[in-house]
Amino acid sequence: MLSGWWDDYLWGAVIVAKVFAASLSLMVLFGLIGAAAKLSDNRVAQKIANGYTVVFRGTPEILVILLLYFGSAIALTAIAKLFDPDIRFVDVPPFWAGTIAIALIVGSYATETFRGAFLGVKPGSIEAARALGMSPLQTFIYIRIPEMWRIALPPFGNHMLSLVKDTALISIIGLNETLFVAKQAITVTGKPFTMYIVVGIIYLGFSTLITLSVMGIEKFGNRTTLGAR
Amino acid sequence: MRLRSIQLMAIGVVAMCSAFNASAETLRVGMECTYAPFNYRTADGELAGYDVDVAKGVAKIIGADFEYVCQEWDGMIPALLANKFDLIIASMSITEKRMEKIDFSGPYRFSTGQIVGSKKTKVNLFDGSGKPIPGNFKGLKVGLERATTYASWFEEKLPEADVLLYDSSESLYLDLQNGRVDLIMTNPMKAYLKFLSKEDGAGFEFKGPVIDEEKYFGVGVGIGLRQGQAELKQRLNGALKQLINSGDLESYARKIFPFKLHKDAWGQ
Amino acid sequence: MSFDLNLILDSLPRMLAGLGVTLQLLLVSGLLGLILAILLLLMRISGKFYLDWVAQVYIYIFRGTPILVQIFIIYYGLPQFEAVRDSIFWHILREPTGCAILALTLNTGAYVSEILRGGVLGVDKGLLEAGSALGMSARQKFIYITTPLATRIALPAYSNDVISLLKSTALASTITITDMTGIARTIVADTYAPYEVFISLAIIYMIFTFGIQKLFGLFERYLGRYARREE
Repeated sequence: MLSGWWDDYLWGAVIVAKVFAASLSLMVLFGLIGAAAKLSDNRVAQKIANGYTVVFRGTPEILVILLLYFGSAIALTAIAKLFDPDIRFVDVPPFWAGTIAIALIVGSYATETFRGAFLGVKPGSIEAARALGMSPLQTFIYIRIPEMWRIALPPFGNHMLSLVKDTALISIIGLNETLFVAKQAITVTGKPFTMYIVVGIIYLGFSTLITLSVMGIEKFGNRTTLGAR
Repeated sequence: MRLRSIQLMAIGVVAMCSAFNASAETLRVGMECTYAPFNYRTADGELAGYDVDVAKGVAKIIGADFEYVCQEWDGMIPALLANKFDLIIASMSITEKRMEKIDFSGPYRFSTGQIVGSKKTKVNLFDGSGKPIPGNFKGLKVGLERATTYASWFEEKLPEADVLLYDSSESLYLDLQNGRVDLIMTNPMKAYLKFLSKEDGAGFEFKGPVIDEEKYFGVGVGIGLRQGQAELKQRLNGALKQLINSGDLESYARKIFPFKLHKDAWGQ
Repeated sequence: MSFDLNLILDSLPRMLAGLGVTLQLLLVSGLLGLILAILLLLMRISGKFYLDWVAQVYIYIFRGTPILVQIFIIYYGLPQFEAVRDSIFWHILREPTGCAILALTLNTGAYVSEILRGGVLGVDKGLLEAGSALGMSARQKFIYITTPLATRIALPAYSNDVISLLKSTALASTITITDMTGIARTIVADTYAPYEVFISLAIIYMIFTFGIQKLFGLFERYLGRYARREE
């Protein structure tokens, strides 16, 4: 039925997984930096972080991807040319343009999530830590982080789902993930419904994996408190 | 300060790499990858088609490695200008408008357009001399691919027409079949091969003459490159002429069509 | 590369001409999606396993797949079947706008129903018990207690979804619709100037988003006008 396109879809799915891994790491990074900036006392940092959230929450994903794809090369090349006029180009391939784009977008949502989670750490726990003589760093590692990620987990799970689904948009700039494979397959087979349904099933598979993992991690996170009522 | 030295190191590495690459030149080629039979992907995951064969032939003659990048058609020239790739070998017609922004090699294929529509549409769209009759297009929906010569022709000749702009030519055929559009304008060779001669195209036919006005379709289809690269252009032209004169270009065409797709005069 | 200001000034009015289409997609899909979401919500809290289960599967599918894929399946995929082309639905499915609204509605309906469900679950049990003590029926409790409170709880999340819906309308440009993004892509294809055009477009969307946020902020304050402490 798929007339030989199975393996192409498989490779497309592999690319989706790769994009997910890369953008997840970046998204967490951007989110943490953004949250830190917003929670800090530094007004400049707060303003920049606010600007970041406004820009990337207010712009359609497809537009960010297109802008980063066309813009990155020129901007980076211009900067590189300042140092060495012989440089022909500094290019960002579609994989990275797309990955960074979606990491920036979901990262702006993650900023809010992490910020809310850090604020949700019980003040009593912090006071207890101080009473026990823990240093700020120890408080951060042993008290803030553990409480914070448990609060952030449900919305973070949603961010991960957004990340996976936004990968489909990167097909617009030619990344050979499953949706683009489908488009090329349709050129040859002329069966749009079949090809697109396969894409849907593959993404549904990814979403299911993520949802199950989040449920598992939630269970793990709450293992010490489940019995207590 | 630390950032600056890292940047300098990075620039240094890139510069060294470009120095090493001087012998094995790599050029990136942009194509649509969804435009059978000229450039498309087969189930094996390989790129195939007339444009791909031309690209491979040229690569061999000029001694460079070609890397292929897939790009949606309406972003083809912006992507070339933004350095996403170095050449466009994607059945792009050499038109004046495009030559304002990019350069082209000599032509390697005819460029023509023709309107396709349902057999049930009985209206005469063109008069005896081959000019379109604007009034007869009323009430008909026309599908065109964005940023194509067909779209430009329609915009100038029939600005009043009810036009829908698509991202890819495949979608044009799909929507013509399911009745979303009544007419499309596209490459007649492709239309015949992939559509009209097949089951899907049984109820459809050409609705007018082949149009090859140079103003809109140029002298033909060529390899696009950024301006200011006279040397590369020369090499490409040399390679194309060689392909024409050796008969290779014709053999690429005959893999798909029972005729060749270029004029012999281009080999001079 | 030079930044062509003239181009921006030329393209802005052209892109804004697509504002009407964008708004139409946003408002119609938003409204229909809300109705669908309420329907799904009632199915999920009905207690009847067959309704709950059907709603859950629907939500799972529409939240688990990218909206672009949903749009393509509806627009390009469905017409593959003769049965669809001959049916009464063809009238809607034939038009790209109809397909876009359908896809956006189905998608946002799934998301919003979960948001509403979160709101419903967030209503304090004690208040419902008080309602029972006053002799209210289940229906009365739902209308007079749950709905107002759940709405207030769900509103921030709902405003986020409306903004997401706005951003999703940009995807309608991939099925020939001349919304703001569709017009922008046509301009870019003609002028080969992606930055100027796309950056201006992004700014338009950002202004829009800001507007929607402010509107929802006002609505939130209005709903919470009795709950606010005197300051």
